[in-house]
Amino acid sequence: MHFRTLLLLALVAVTPQACAPKAKEVRPNHPLPRGLDTSRAEPGRRGGVFIDSTPGEPSTFNPLVSEDATSSGFIGLFLDSLVHNNPVTQEVEPGLASRWQIAPDNKTFTFHLRPGVLWSDGHPFTADDVVFTFQAIYDPRFPNRAAFDLSVDGKKFTIEKIDELTVRLTTPEIYAPFLETVGGVGLLPKHELEPAFRDGSLLKAWNVSLAQKEPRRLLATGAFRLRSYQPAERIVFEANPHYWRADAQGVRLPYVDYLVTKLVKDANASTLAFATGQTDAEGLSPDNVAWIDRYASRYGFSVFNRGPSPNTGFIWFNQNPGRDTSGKPFVAPHKLTWFTDRRFRQAISHGIDREGLVRGVLFGRGQPLWGPETPANKKWYNPNVTQYPYNPARSKELLAQAGFQLGPDRKLRDRLGNVVEFTLNTNQENQLRANMATAFKENMRDLGITVNLSFLDFGTLVGKIQDSYDYEAGMLGLTGGGDPAGGISVFSSKGRLHQWYPNQKTPATPWEARIDQLMSDQLHTLDYPTRKKYFDEVQKIMSDETPYIYLVTANAYVGLKDRWKNIRIPPLGSLIWNLDELWTPLLTP
Amino acid sequence: MVADIFRSLLRRPAGLISAALLGLLYAMALFAPFLSPTTPSAQNLDRTYHPPTALVWQDGHLCVQLYQLVDPSTAAYQPLPDRSVPLRWFSEGPSYKLFGLIPANRHLFTVPDSHPIYLLGSDATGRDVYTRLLYGAGISLSIGLIGVFLTSLLGLTIGGLAGYLGGWPDSLAMRLTEFLMAVPGLYLLLALRAALSSRFPSDATFLLIVVILSALGWAGTARVVRGLVLSLRERPFILAASIIGQRPWTILFRHLLPNTFSYLIVAATLSVPGYILGEAALSFLGLGIQEPASSWGLMLGQAQDIKIFMLNFWWLLTPGAAIILTVIAFNLLGDALRDAVDPRFRLPGK
Repeated sequence: MHFRTLLLLALVAVTPQACAPKAKEVRPNHPLPRGLDTSRAEPGRRGGVFIDSTPGEPSTFNPLVSEDATSSGFIGLFLDSLVHNNPVTQEVEPGLASRWQIAPDNKTFTFHLRPGVLWSDGHPFTADDVVFTFQAIYDPRFPNRAAFDLSVDGKKFTIEKIDELTVRLTTPEIYAPFLETVGGVGLLPKHELEPAFRDGSLLKAWNVSLAQKEPRRLLATGAFRLRSYQPAERIVFEANPHYWRADAQGVRLPYVDYLVTKLVKDANASTLAFATGQTDAEGLSPDNVAWIDRYASRYGFSVFNRGPSPNTGFIWFNQNPGRDTSGKPFVAPHKLTWFTDRRFRQAISHGIDREGLVRGVLFGRGQPLWGPETPANKKWYNPNVTQYPYNPARSKELLAQAGFQLGPDRKLRDRLGNVVEFTLNTNQENQLRANMATAFKENMRDLGITVNLSFLDFGTLVGKIQDSYDYEAGMLGLTGGGDPAGGISVFSSKGRLHQWYPNQKTPATPWEARIDQLMSDQLHTLDYPTRKKYFDEVQKIMSDETPYIYLVTANAYVGLKDRWKNIRIPPLGSLIWNLDELWTPLLTP
Repeated sequence: MVADIFRSLLRRPAGLISAALLGLLYAMALFAPFLSPTTPSAQNLDRTYHPPTALVWQDGHLCVQLYQLVDPSTAAYQPLPDRSVPLRWFSEGPSYKLFGLIPANRHLFTVPDSHPIYLLGSDATGRDVYTRLLYGAGISLSIGLIGVFLTSLLGLTIGGLAGYLGGWPDSLAMRLTEFLMAVPGLYLLLALRAALSSRFPSDATFLLIVVILSALGWAGTARVVRGLVLSLRERPFILAASIIGQRPWTILFRHLLPNTFSYLIVAATLSVPGYILGEAALSFLGLGIQEPASSWGLMLGQAQDIKIFMLNFWWLLTPGAAIILTVIAFNLLGDALRDAVDPRFRLPGK
């Protein structure tokens, strides 16, 4: 304990002066815009530095280039969008567009921008910026991920400028997640980026080197703008003096002066930085909550339970009937017969002690999972899916129905006398997953099934799953949550992430055909109850047929310093979603 | 000669104690299935991170204290006062094959009614650390012996031939050893492991690691053996042997190599820890022995998680203590052996 305290003191002694930007810098007092948005949160006091940490490094500050969550997180701090997805209510709220209309055809959306909003350099934000952003996204010279998200069946949306503060977007077909998708598009400043757009160097703009040399040139409409970036050390954001929100007393948000993100080596270092009071907020894994709680009073923080996380974990069998280039089947034919038998998969599912996994591996901080969505996704989660509680007797019954027999040597054999044995592949980096794999092996031994474990590095594993298909069973996780449209590549039989048998030309089974139909139907209506009904059925089919044998979902936790007020922690997504409304009565940390 | 060495060893307490300790460790590894109350893969998800169970003397029996889980969210256990179960000696338990051959199901001790007994606590899925330590010893300790055997064989043959033949075989062998010694060991190890791993099923990793470690380790031995052979070659007794008409191979195998044995015994003893540590390092990095098999390095690798330290699950670090003990014992034994076989190198004061 003493050593740890000393270590902490040593760290503190070195960093804080370097961290906190020079004090007594007065924020310029620009007039508030006409289209001001007034926060309904409790009015607070300006000032303070909010410190957090992240493992890893941003790879870019250009939204057209960003592919990773770290970069996108930082970009989201300074680039605002037409509308916001409120992760607490899972509703769409006004952003840079104060209101919008949907035409009766459900395909035409008219957005009215906030008048008087300025970029962080004082230049007005207008419809031209919105049109410019969509032009840049759809330009074939700049391949980017947003272009894929912002299209239906490969067809682009059309965008027109009605006047300086009005734009109209039209989708070629009815596209259900339109508003959610638009909510994720950070709008770019035309006056700053047009030269790069013209000469074709837009993908090179706003890179990490510019962020280090001229951070102010990364123009902001969001609550913060970039102040400095030192790789492997820290990123400092400061309050955007032209931000378009204020509190009930007319004080321009955000309250905090600076947002400092320490860049640390790995998740362990990030957790430790929070536990020793060096940072203000941190996402915590369930197995770390127990000991972090002990430091809560010493460093003045609290740990909040966000409830179930949106992360799923599952086991699946390779049901791909294809052959490799040398004509060898991916899966031995007799094993493929087991894997494609629903009763076999259900029997496996009944044989897994999920309650035990939650109790033992997750320290009781989680719950069994039965379907593709976790309860975290309140808007879309279907609680009435088929459940497979731990019941080895039921497993044996199902296996007997499917023609399997337990021999006197306690080994399960199929109808033809083949011993039931398979190799489960998983990645070696994840300790909790490795624990679950060994527990699964033990559970299966009780059924007479021999499971061999193979721990691969993540890249090799993904290669097996998505390219060479030469494996029998796998164990991985996916991050769920959000709109069902995000799950199309998993559920649709054509999908790349349809792991048990990806990229099918025609659906292999009637139930996969039904899922394809439902996923397509839900995409082409804007009516939430109808979409929910379709997606509920998808979840039900997934649990009945169990192509994925879902395991458990851990709870998510957030640690937060007590000095911050107006905290709103969403069940999914970023730790705090209303950073602009946070304030603290204690200015010195 | 062996008797001399042994007698000389008897006079060195440190060496003697080390030899006895190593003998004990190897015996424990050999009889692991008998000495452990359960199997290394048996889990109990209701008893994860269980602290070591206390043994108490009650009513004339050695009994194991029972515990209850008071807080599952921190894995906190408390002893149940006056609740203990007597151990059963030489009782029946899970069946196993002693030395991989003899089927048996007797265990030194077990606890009735599947009450938990964790002499050294339990791990993340409620497996007995003591049992895994014993089974892991089999792998960790035999890797050292097999590796040293392979290395000595390679080193002796290549070094002996190079020294005796001279000329281009000598140059070839020495350039090869230089190449092997110039390549940074850990990186070569990692590269070889990555290149070979896809050809071996996961249960053959054990063999793979020994082969990799020996393929890297023989260079040093070969160079010293070559040097010894070079100097012995010029001694009068070799001259005498060749004058009476013995053939070169006879001279090499009857006269030259046996004279390097005393060095080899010492070198081998002193290099065993290198193999044990090498296996531990590979398994620690997740490239060695894999679950559900156990080895000391793997167990230590799984214990490198902040929660293990913060929640004070110290018993998960016992494989580290086992590695330290073994390595120190081998080094002390090697020192004592060196004094015994080569009086000229004897340290002052002994």
